[in-house]
Amino acid sequence: MNCQDCLERLDRYVDRELTDAEIEEVKRHLVDCPPCEDHFRLQVHLKRLVKVCCDQGGAPAHLRAKLRQILF
Amino acid sequence: MVEVAEDAAETRGPAAEPTPDHPVRPDDGTGGSDRGRSGRDEGSSRSFAEEAIGHLDTLYRGALRLTRDPAQAEDLVQDTYLRALRYQNSYQAGTNMKAWLFAIMRNLFWDRFRGGRPEDVSLDGDGEVSLYDTLRDQTAMPEAEVLDRIATDEVVRAVERLPELHREVVLLVDVEGFSYKDAAEVLGVPIGTVMSRLHRARRQLQKALYEYARESGIVHADRDR
Repeated sequence: MNCQDCLERLDRYVDRELTDAEIEEVKRHLVDCPPCEDHFRLQVHLKRLVKVCCDQGGAPAHLRAKLRQILF
Repeated sequence: MVEVAEDAAETRGPAAEPTPDHPVRPDDGTGGSDRGRSGRDEGSSRSFAEEAIGHLDTLYRGALRLTRDPAQAEDLVQDTYLRALRYQNSYQAGTNMKAWLFAIMRNLFWDRFRGGRPEDVSLDGDGEVSLYDTLRDQTAMPEAEVLDRIATDEVVRAVERLPELHREVVLLVDVEGFSYKDAAEVLGVPIGTVMSRLHRARRQLQKALYEYARESGIVHADRDR
């Protein structure tokens, strides 16, 4: 696998959308290629950051109360 | 460029009526001005309601990111639950209710708040890549460390500034953890479209966060030059 192949698969690798065989190929490349490994780390980091930052706060209590009235 | 055209062509009008053959879309066949409750016993309605309300926080957060306005987010969530209740007979117990609810909400969002027309997604072209690469080349700080110094609010803002078609993919895959397949079903597009939108969304996010990092002095692009 060359760098281009690796970078093309990086989204799917980070999102766990590759087959086991593909995962192994990417892993092997990352071990030998610091620049691709950097890309990988950045992507993982960004994904986690987006998740953590956007996943805060919940629905207001009055909305929950209103929906409970509607639903039950 | 090809991907943009593909996007436009493949995007089923989100305003379109729910399609019966689509697993996560509400099916219109229950004909429910009576909220579709007929034929359901009290117990299953109750367990449907319990399960549905269990997704309230995550739906509200999604609505807030989509509408960027608390009052509109509340309206959107309430309408989503009303529609879910009405079409509850089309939900198959044991399948992915979160995806089903997101599909309803997403369709309502495009219907009510965006007049049923997805905005055109413009592509900045190579400019964004070169800016990103320039910053990569010119700052000595590891990228991950740069990201750590960026405030939560700024990350949320960057997500909210993404074009809606990109934003909703990020919300589904990165925030909600949907598989590409489930995201594709929620959005009514092929998996390839999910992938290309996601890829571009992430490039845009990187660019936006690096610009912020530079403007706020976290990185100095010209430090070593």
